[in-house]
Amino acid sequence: MLLEADRVSRAFGGFLALSEASLTVESGEIVGLIGPNGAGKSTFFNCIAGDLAPSTGRIRFDGIDVTSAPAERHALLGIGRTFQVPATFVELTILDNVMVGAFLRHHRRGDAEAKAMEVLRLTGLDHMAHQRAGILGTPGRKRLGIARVLATEPRLLLLDEALAGLTPGEIRQAIDLVRRIHASGITIIIVEHIMEVILTLAARVMVFNQGRTIAQGTPQEVVNDPKVIEAYLGHHHKRRRARASP
Amino acid sequence: MSPRTAATLALAALLLLYPLLVSGLNGAAFFQDVGATLILAAISASAWNIVGGYAGQVSVGHAMFFGAGAYVPLLVFNLWQWPPLIGMPFGVAVAVLIALAVGIPTFRLQGHYFSMATIAVAELIRIVVSNWDLLGASIGIQGPATARGWWDLTFRSSVPYYYIFLAALAALLYATYLMERSRFGYYLRAIRAGERAAASLGVPVRRTKLAALALSAAFTAVAGSLYAFKLGYVNPESGLGILVSVQMIITAALGGAGRLWGPLIGAIVLVPLQSATNSWFGGSGTGLTYILYGGIILVLARFEPGGLIELWQRLRGSGGAKIEGTHAA
Amino acid sequence: MILLQAAVNGLLLGAVYALFASGLTLIWGMMNFINFAHGEFVMLGMYAALLIATGLNGGPAVYGPGAAVVLFLLGILVYMLLVKHVMRGPMLAQILSTFGLALLLRYTAFFIFKSDFRTLPQSWLSGTVNIGGIFVEIPKLVAGIVAALVAVGMHLLLTRTALGSRLLAVAEDRSAAMLMGIRPDRMQALAWGLSAASAGIAGALLAIAYPFSPEVGATFALTAFVVVTLGGFGSVPGAMIAGLIIGLVDALSAYLIGPIYKDVVVYGLFVAVLWIRPQGLLGTL
Repeated sequence: MLLEADRVSRAFGGFLALSEASLTVESGEIVGLIGPNGAGKSTFFNCIAGDLAPSTGRIRFDGIDVTSAPAERHALLGIGRTFQVPATFVELTILDNVMVGAFLRHHRRGDAEAKAMEVLRLTGLDHMAHQRAGILGTPGRKRLGIARVLATEPRLLLLDEALAGLTPGEIRQAIDLVRRIHASGITIIIVEHIMEVILTLAARVMVFNQGRTIAQGTPQEVVNDPKVIEAYLGHHHKRRRARASP
Repeated sequence: MSPRTAATLALAALLLLYPLLVSGLNGAAFFQDVGATLILAAISASAWNIVGGYAGQVSVGHAMFFGAGAYVPLLVFNLWQWPPLIGMPFGVAVAVLIALAVGIPTFRLQGHYFSMATIAVAELIRIVVSNWDLLGASIGIQGPATARGWWDLTFRSSVPYYYIFLAALAALLYATYLMERSRFGYYLRAIRAGERAAASLGVPVRRTKLAALALSAAFTAVAGSLYAFKLGYVNPESGLGILVSVQMIITAALGGAGRLWGPLIGAIVLVPLQSATNSWFGGSGTGLTYILYGGIILVLARFEPGGLIELWQRLRGSGGAKIEGTHAA
Repeated sequence: MILLQAAVNGLLLGAVYALFASGLTLIWGMMNFINFAHGEFVMLGMYAALLIATGLNGGPAVYGPGAAVVLFLLGILVYMLLVKHVMRGPMLAQILSTFGLALLLRYTAFFIFKSDFRTLPQSWLSGTVNIGGIFVEIPKLVAGIVAALVAVGMHLLLTRTALGSRLLAVAEDRSAAMLMGIRPDRMQALAWGLSAASAGIAGALLAIAYPFSPEVGATFALTAFVVVTLGGFGSVPGAMIAGLIIGLVDALSAYLIGPIYKDVVVYGLFVAVLWIRPQGLLGTL
């Protein structure tokens, strides 16, 4: 068991954003987190990433308690994450962006640079290595964000809406990249709005609504779960399905 | 040899030969003195640059580190007749302690707290020193009037000081150059570029900021000591005043904060300018120099925060249109 | 008895601190921006009062409103020409922008008015009153009470009026506010106007009771920093309470230790707050 989140809750003042969310992830899985806006999936995500400390509950990574560990420690232990709005280091070059990640495991500049170039080749950004990261548009920045965190050699990768705002062609490329990352042995948790992406990539899906998890299972199971349809896909889908059946 | 290396060597040669080049002029001593002041200003600004430029943690109270470096050596001379040089490491130690006292509580908070704290603590120290007889109160303290030996560093001419300062500057710039290329340097720049993202990549943000501040404080204290050796005198205004802090910031920012050569370029522009305006405006009593400084800082911040280096790079077209990052992998 | 007198004076002064600190924390909470020239805004309020008194022969009743109008306009101007543009940029530029402005304002005032301490011309607002054995100078009493009223008024404006809720909406969530049809840019400019006006009025009130010079801006800026930190990030009620506390500490330190060291106590308190309770009284971290 690589990651174990045990009844994690998080309150902001009086508002309970997340309530008793539990999740176990085995090494090598791809797990999807879905749910409407404000459902608590981002809060849960940030708790696992170490950005937020849970109000109650425990999170264990590879047996180590990381519940209140800072983000830096998470990265050191092998949990990497991307940001929904790419937090690119705009003033630095694309290579330097990735080198910051590479330096985590490679303390010497030469080694870090080599690792960074390797990751840039993997993500198709190597030809722009020495340009300022600020020139990239959002899709490029998202790709750079992935490259950066890959350089930290994570065992668990948390992708935060990495495919939002991409064109269909770009989505196909991104899915391909995620598959390649997964194939190299990295466990992935992906938060996503786009249902088709989750259904394609994830072997297991967890559905959030109003701070609680309302369903867990394979994509097929989840899509047919009436609770999920009600919460996430909405009345519209229910009506469509009613019309579709003879 | 690349143009950049050639330019760097030319600059180095110019700086090395400057005192000799001006020795034939009328008023050579004055020019040599301005030269020494210029190099010292470059040292202080380069020291500030480590934490303020590279790490992006804007200290507005660096005078307190400068003052520590200036006061402690002269103090040990006054108390125990030691050569001020011996007091320099102690000045550095005091500066680092102050740095930790300010940095440890504030670096876990958002950046404004640190900046506010640096102003407040610098002012606190200035008031205390101004009223402490042991430290000379508002009159200040003096160093050796005549040299007991070379180790008192009391020279008549500015030229020996010029070369001592130049050696210190070279050492500091070389250390900064090494740092820039190291893991620590990348981490500093990542912190400046985006703390949250940096932490997510494993950068130990608080520890790194503290290290940068401690280094910066130490080097600034060295600059303060060099100042005390040359002038042989320090008082609360010249050692701990807000204008000392302002001078460091504007010198680094004008040339280019976060760049290796920024502070030196800033000093080359500002120190002669300040000498000139001081003689035109009749001393700093009327404050016109500082109106100018305020205006320069304001304009810099508004239009070209990257300073002259950034401006020059932009004019040369190192920018570039936005390109989409997608590419057939 | 004299201790009590010092305490009363301290609270009256603290009310003025509360007023200008409220303006600073409003901007801080709303735009995550610290105005390093806020102390100079107070100083300009003082000199605005002076010019009204000497140039326009206005009486004390006009000082406050006059300073308020002048500084309100200046605040908006500073926002439109400077702050709006640096807000999107690097932290260094943000901090240096108002810091540079502070220097510019301070030394321009120095240049025009020199470094002598000035007082406002004598007016009907003078004399001392005896309240239950405590002697309070009328200018200080008026300054404190008016400051308290204006500060409370500002708090009510923010929390009880439609305009206030629009301002706070922008502070809370810019994009959501935009979706509701609120123009963040306008609200921010307005906030800057209010913030500067609060500093201006405070300055005018202080000028009635105390002598002033161009360099006092630096001290007020520091006082404002201490108060907003003690009060808590972005909390106007916090700033008001903290203002009174700092005024009290200020006056009692001056009385017990001496006027020279009172600032040391206040700044020392600042450092202590940072170490022990950085979120202040009413703030959240």
